[in-house]
Amino acid sequence: MITRRPLFYWVKTSNWKLQILLLILIAVGVAARVFPLEMQKRIVNQAIGLGKLNLLFLYCGLYLAAVFLASVIKFLINVIQTHLGQQTLARLRKELYAHILTLPMSFFRRTSSGMVVSALVTEVVSAGELVGQAIAVPINNILTLLAFTGFMFYLNPLLASLSLTIYPFILFSIPILQRRANVENKKRVDATRSLSSKVGETISGIHEVHGNGSYHIENRRFGELVQELLHIRVRWNVYRYAIKGLNNLFQNMGPFLLFIVGGYLAINGRFDLGALVAFLSAYEKLYDPWKELMEFYQTYQEASVSYRRLMEYFDEQPEFALTPPDREPYELAASIQVRDLSFSVAPRVHLLQKVSFDLEPGQSMAVVGFSGSGKSTLVHCIGQLYRYSGGSVKFGGHEVFELTKQDVVRNAGIVAQTPYIFDGTIKENLRYACEAIYDSGKEGDAPRLPSLDEMIEVIQQVGLFMDVLRFGLNTVIEEDEDRELHERIIRIRYRFQSEFGEILGDDIEFFDIKRYLIFSSVASNLTFGTAQQDPFKSENLSRNHYFLWFLEESRLKQPLLELGRDAALQTMDILGNIVPDALFFEQSPMEPDEFEDYTILSQKLQTSSTEELGGAEQAMLLKLALRFVAGVHTTGELQPGLQDSVVQARREFRDQIQADHPEAFSFYRMSGYLPSLSILDNILFGRSRMDIPGAQERIAKSLMQLLIEEDLLERIVEVGMDFRVGPKGDRLSGGQRQKLAIARTFLKNSPLLILDEATSALDNASQKRIQGVLESRWKGRSTIIAVAHRLDTIRNYDKIAVMKAGKIVEMGAFDELLERKGILYELVHGVKTEY
Amino acid sequence: MSSSTESKQSTKDCKDNLQLLMHLPMLSGLPMEPIKLLAYLCKRHVFRPGQTIFRQEEVDANAYLILSGKARLLLEEPQEIALVEVGEMDFIGVLSLFCEMKRIYTLRAETEVVSLTLSREKFQKTLEQFPDVGPRIFEATARSIIRWETHFVREHLAKCPECRNHMGIPPT
Repeated sequence: MITRRPLFYWVKTSNWKLQILLLILIAVGVAARVFPLEMQKRIVNQAIGLGKLNLLFLYCGLYLAAVFLASVIKFLINVIQTHLGQQTLARLRKELYAHILTLPMSFFRRTSSGMVVSALVTEVVSAGELVGQAIAVPINNILTLLAFTGFMFYLNPLLASLSLTIYPFILFSIPILQRRANVENKKRVDATRSLSSKVGETISGIHEVHGNGSYHIENRRFGELVQELLHIRVRWNVYRYAIKGLNNLFQNMGPFLLFIVGGYLAINGRFDLGALVAFLSAYEKLYDPWKELMEFYQTYQEASVSYRRLMEYFDEQPEFALTPPDREPYELAASIQVRDLSFSVAPRVHLLQKVSFDLEPGQSMAVVGFSGSGKSTLVHCIGQLYRYSGGSVKFGGHEVFELTKQDVVRNAGIVAQTPYIFDGTIKENLRYACEAIYDSGKEGDAPRLPSLDEMIEVIQQVGLFMDVLRFGLNTVIEEDEDRELHERIIRIRYRFQSEFGEILGDDIEFFDIKRYLIFSSVASNLTFGTAQQDPFKSENLSRNHYFLWFLEESRLKQPLLELGRDAALQTMDILGNIVPDALFFEQSPMEPDEFEDYTILSQKLQTSSTEELGGAEQAMLLKLALRFVAGVHTTGELQPGLQDSVVQARREFRDQIQADHPEAFSFYRMSGYLPSLSILDNILFGRSRMDIPGAQERIAKSLMQLLIEEDLLERIVEVGMDFRVGPKGDRLSGGQRQKLAIARTFLKNSPLLILDEATSALDNASQKRIQGVLESRWKGRSTIIAVAHRLDTIRNYDKIAVMKAGKIVEMGAFDELLERKGILYELVHGVKTEY
Repeated sequence: MSSSTESKQSTKDCKDNLQLLMHLPMLSGLPMEPIKLLAYLCKRHVFRPGQTIFRQEEVDANAYLILSGKARLLLEEPQEIALVEVGEMDFIGVLSLFCEMKRIYTLRAETEVVSLTLSREKFQKTLEQFPDVGPRIFEATARSIIRWETHFVREHLAKCPECRNHMGIPPT
């Protein structure tokens, strides 16, 4: 298991070809670094000493070549090290993630997602990067050290051994100091923590401080802590500098010894000058590898501590094997036998006790009871989400905890109480469960995915069809050359206006050339069309010279600049100090990613008027103004007078641009398709009023028949399936998420279906519909176990199990139990209501 | 198709919203920043007489501060029973700001009702931005639940002898 591996496992399993290449490069590199020293000696002794110019050139050339080679090799070593380190980091991340995903559910109840995130994102980094260095750095530096000392011995054994005498002192004294520094460092962390909690406490109780005038008490308490921290920090830093200083001192004492002994020997003629120069260089070069070795030692210590702590945290066994090692996953018949099942989370905390029942394939059972009675726990045990602690659960004759995950997911579908929807399209979410069964992760083993027809059928069953239709209607179709589709949409437009224009008038704002459109942007109101040429697209209008000229002419520029200014300043005022989230920008014409640019601009606006701004800054304000939708945006205000001027300018603009740039726009006409507007806007020839709850539902309902007659319904639903649901399915309502979760499980068509209060967020009508589907299409075909939160849906189940305090207290058919006048009878007749 | 909405919101509204929210018990005593954000995120809706604002047993993720007009809470199932009338500055459906829930009652406009509507998503995203504010709002909410219960016990203990057997126990 990954968590039991020592840090060196990752070194052992890293890319050995690269490691060997690295070692070779290191050997060459070390040689290339020692070589110049020998050259140095020869330059002084042979070339300069004997006055031979040709030798001087030769040796200097070789010197230069060696230096150059050493730098290239150093660079290559770094590249390979990085490669090794990052490869290991990626491997470590992937394997740890795969391990974490398989950990038991109980693990995640006590672990925050933040912990997992920081483990995978930051904490693995030091360990991963260490692996890149683990071989190269020590070997490189030790080899370099050895080479330089070897060279020194070759020059003069006496001097060499003399200069090495200081190292034992360093090796002895520095670890002692380092340990002390560590102790102080730990104290520093603690003291900083108590200091900040003191500050937090005082600020929260500030009214008490003011009320009692107890400033001096608080100052004293704070002062004591600061003083303590001061002492600790001083000691800590003293140790750190002592280490540095000591190291430097010893290093710098070296030349002193060399000069005094080497100089003496040289004067006596027993040591030549060139050798002394080379010796000094070699000695100085010892410093770098030595320092790097010490640093590596520290990094290694820190990395292995954090690696161990990290791995200890996730050191837990997965409860179930993922795939069977030696066979295909079973195709099980969904008979369920539960015998004396118990589940405890701690000694003497029993969530289930001695639960027993049998279900034949195709039978259905509803589980009811008070919350906390163990209903969910029971179905979790059957669905292999929990590992039960006693008794037996047999699924198709196999003990559930001996089955692998693949066996279970192939044969059982589970809808959770609060289902999770992943970021992606509706289609991807619908396919999620099916994809998981058939996608074995092996290459060429493509998952068998449900067809479009199957998906449409199932979203109809769960009552998601209208929602998906609406998503489709709100989509802008990109392929603009589909004439036939355009024509069909225009046909529907005419029919819609004549059949529903009157009734749905309140829900729609029609494109009326004489009126200001509250639910369209200022730009659309002015141009009353969609741009056909890039410079006239709405995002470019604020920088389009022709358009700016027109604004100036029609006296709109100044009021629009003011509108943009208001919008910018008010957005800043409200959202200035928070993390930009798309939701907060719904009511402002500003986009979250423009926030920073406008922050700078609005600072300038505090002191300057709009006329004083430069062209680019004015364009930024105009951009906001042109995007402004009066019925939606609340930062800034569109005065009625300005609305009238815009409507007046509309005709002038049309006349003018048709004369000057006839191809620039296609104007809103009843008889023409409106590109870059959604399908719905095209059909309505207007905008549905998004602020009215239910408006879109009513419109979509009225449209259904027309879409069927024009054979467009499926096409638009298919478009709607590509709707992106947002992170966690944010853009769906709770009910929509639950329906989507039921649909994706239905699509699996598994022999066992487990529903854990699967319809709790749905309104009555939707609940009844899904209950109806269960009874008409699933009953008898698959085994169903449903935890029910409402008693009016359970009448037609073959068996009802009533649970209380972890036990099944009653079991039987609905009518049978009512006749018995036991607990179900009490529940149904509302002596105690169930929540 | 009887709903209609104030089509034009303005800066003035936003400032008014701020005044209104500041005086709600649930938000009183909070710093200005989060209230300002909530005031901006609120939407004004106009409901016509007879229009259902929310319906019993249906999931609705909004809270409504009634600015003007009268509305009535009622039970529609199993049969229609009219309950209390609500009006200006009543804040209805607060609990759905905290979790997804089905409406226990129906709220129906009796006259034209103007409401300030706040959705759970916006409320919760605001709390995420201001982590200090959450506990204070929870506390204020818990206090108002205690107030309801105190009131409930005082009122019902006298009038409904058989209720005594169930009083004081939270429903399981």
